[in-house]
Amino acid sequence: MLQAVLAVPRAALSFPRNGVEKAAIVIAILIVLLAVLGVWLAPFDPLKINFRGKLEPPSFTHLLGTDGSGRDVLSRLLYGAQLTLASTFLVLAVIVAVGCAIGIFSAFIGGVVDNLLMRLADIWLGFPPLILAFGFAAALGASLQAAIWALFFSWWPTYARLTRMVTVDILSQKFMASADALGVPVHRKILNYVIPNAFDVLIVQATLDVSAVMLAISGLSFIGVGAQIPTPEWGAMIADGRSYVANGWWIVLAPGLAIFLTALAFNVIGDMLRRELDPTSSRRQ
Amino acid sequence: MASPEPLVDLAGISKSFARRFLVQNRTFRLRDIDISIGRGEVVGLLGESGSGKSTVANIITRLTGFDGGRYHYRGRDVSTLTRKESFAFKSDVQIVFQDPYGSLNPRATVRSSVMESLLLHKPGLSRRERITRANRLLEEVGLNPERGDHYPHEFSGGQRQRIAIARALAVEPELLVCDEPLSSLDVSIQAQILELFVRMIRERHLTIVFISHDVNVVRLICDRVYIMNDGRIVENGPAQDVLSNPQNEYTARLLEAVY
Amino acid sequence: MDEPLLKVENVAISLRHDGRSMVAGVSFAVNEREVFGIVGESGSGKTLLTRTLFGLHDDAFLSRGSVTFAGETVPLSGYAAAMRKRLGHAIGFVLQDPFSSLNPTMRVGKQITEAIYLAKGWPMGAERTKEAAMALMSEVGIPEPKLAFDQFPDQFSGGMRQRIVFAIALSQEPKLLVADEPTTALDAITQRRVIDLILDRSRRHKLAVILISHNLELLRQSVDRIAVLYGGQLLNIVTAGEIGTRTIHPYAEALFACIPARDKRLADVRAIPGEPVAAGAARIGCAFASRCSFAEAVCREAPLPVNPGAAATFSACLLGRGVH
Repeated sequence: MLQAVLAVPRAALSFPRNGVEKAAIVIAILIVLLAVLGVWLAPFDPLKINFRGKLEPPSFTHLLGTDGSGRDVLSRLLYGAQLTLASTFLVLAVIVAVGCAIGIFSAFIGGVVDNLLMRLADIWLGFPPLILAFGFAAALGASLQAAIWALFFSWWPTYARLTRMVTVDILSQKFMASADALGVPVHRKILNYVIPNAFDVLIVQATLDVSAVMLAISGLSFIGVGAQIPTPEWGAMIADGRSYVANGWWIVLAPGLAIFLTALAFNVIGDMLRRELDPTSSRRQ
Repeated sequence: MASPEPLVDLAGISKSFARRFLVQNRTFRLRDIDISIGRGEVVGLLGESGSGKSTVANIITRLTGFDGGRYHYRGRDVSTLTRKESFAFKSDVQIVFQDPYGSLNPRATVRSSVMESLLLHKPGLSRRERITRANRLLEEVGLNPERGDHYPHEFSGGQRQRIAIARALAVEPELLVCDEPLSSLDVSIQAQILELFVRMIRERHLTIVFISHDVNVVRLICDRVYIMNDGRIVENGPAQDVLSNPQNEYTARLLEAVY
Repeated sequence: MDEPLLKVENVAISLRHDGRSMVAGVSFAVNEREVFGIVGESGSGKTLLTRTLFGLHDDAFLSRGSVTFAGETVPLSGYAAAMRKRLGHAIGFVLQDPFSSLNPTMRVGKQITEAIYLAKGWPMGAERTKEAAMALMSEVGIPEPKLAFDQFPDQFSGGMRQRIVFAIALSQEPKLLVADEPTTALDAITQRRVIDLILDRSRRHKLAVILISHNLELLRQSVDRIAVLYGGQLLNIVTAGEIGTRTIHPYAEALFACIPARDKRLADVRAIPGEPVAAGAARIGCAFASRCSFAEAVCREAPLPVNPGAAATFSACLLGRGVH
């Protein structure tokens, strides 16, 4: 399985077809790097309040200016990168892992259990995520944590259904009959047959969901049920900056642009992956 | 040279299942299947698509069960086999499928597909030994072992069929079931794979069940043949006799239609 | 008639999106009442050739050569559209998969009357057109045409559907019928019946037939002459009787030798080593040279002869094998 999964990055070097896609990859890599290293690069303490220096426009000291409480926007942006992206990838990791596990299990077990699980997933998908978010905010107090839990709970069915569909499709292929003829045990079937063949579809969905999840987290923070001020999560920053749009446009612009660029970059990458990994096209190597 | 006790003994096998025919579901009935295969024989199962021959192939390899009748392998009733014995059965009976494009894991290198057989059924071998054996098998079926790190889609249909054969032979089976192994291949490649089969039969003393709709191929390599139509066996006997002097009307019509 | 119905001279086919030449130097002629076979393995270009020749291929076009049908030369520019105009009334097409050729939501009788209408308008009136359709159905061997008329394609077996497709093709009274692997999806008994039907119709109605197949033996027993394609090249045109009796092109001979046929023994079947070469690879010389047991240096270096004048029999062998 490892071999198959590692083969993708090597092949991926040939994927980008135009300047936009190449730029998207570069931007995505930069943003991830900033998320990892940002906290060391930040020139100021993102939480340090300084009322005398509030609402300063971008300058050499404060490259992105200061916000309504005098906090350095750039530093907040950098810390925020880590928060927003880490929570995004955490949510994705959990929903993919849990959703796929349930989907694969459902596909293998088949029959009534499979039916029930998928109907459960269907119903679950009908729950408005916002209600869940409010619920978690009420239970845990509005925070980034609450937003993350809400997303864990509302998003796993998507991956469960997708993985189940892909797995059923894989199981119907002749090479699975060949595996049966050989007596390949179930755990090996999952690791060596199902996951490597499902990987393409899943990676495309997950990449496209990066922006969706990120927007959900920021969105929840923006409306007040996620991260709260002074946490420098990007959505929360926008909420905070709302009041200062007239005389402090940089406060909203910086995180807004950051969200926009990140979402766009990952979407472009997701589309590129979908085009390249589409199983209906003949494979090129 | 058939030994007294048949390797495969199907007696009165029957199976009913719903099969999608055009837009409706119809019940397909396999019935009164009596087949016996002796060690070293090459037995053909000849019939059109829908005759049930692939189902019989799956029953023989135990990929699917059956409703009525008995199946004895090497004298043992297969329904009495323990889990461990059922697993060991898979190193006695192997299958090669029709479609070379779908029968190999597209995400596994060709060598690892062959090594998998060894991993599962020759547990005493080290990884290095598995690699060596896999390479030797690839060579035996006419492929360059240095290409073992490539993926199935980089090979042609005929080559993929060779890989599938290598994978089946890796476990050193007694009986090889071949379900229309040539049908999806180009004409000039069919002859190559046919030659490979003939060589394998001779060198490895294999017993073969050869399922096909192609009368001419069956005529060439089979000792005995069973003719199937609509879920039943309509005639059987030595290939030379049945295919030149059929007793059954369906067989006669089939032979007359063949180019 | 002396003038052939279809004359194809030195035709080349290229792909639209990159201009790559896939098939080149193809010349052959088909006469009225003649049954002409085209044989090729996968990659030979036979599907590309026949589809493009009749304006049915979206991604390829005729880049060179001339095509004359029923006395009229069809110009290369606007070729596909011009050819498609002839389809339906002058040229009938029967494809491999009968199910996808028929509209699954339209009753079969209507599909035939529609075809008649498209070719001729309703000069006979609706009632007479329906009668003509039913007569056609019984002629192609569909039992109880009155009942069958109102049924849908999925109520028929594969062989019956193929007959319906054939009836549709014939309803427009074409001069030429092109059947592309019409029996591959059918069982042996039905296959024989459909081929016999096509041949019988052709004899009785002055209908020329082009029968495309990968099965050389089927063609050898059914058609008058056979064109052999390989790797995008036309290597041989032989009369069916020559196969197995006279020297023909080495590829055609090798192809014939590797087919298990009725009267052959195992030792008579000789495989061709190597893989079939695909059309489209830029090459000089004969595409079969890499697998030919007679190949010499000239086979890889000299340009391939192309049958100028579209002679009835032809061999492209640079060593002269099969040339009369």
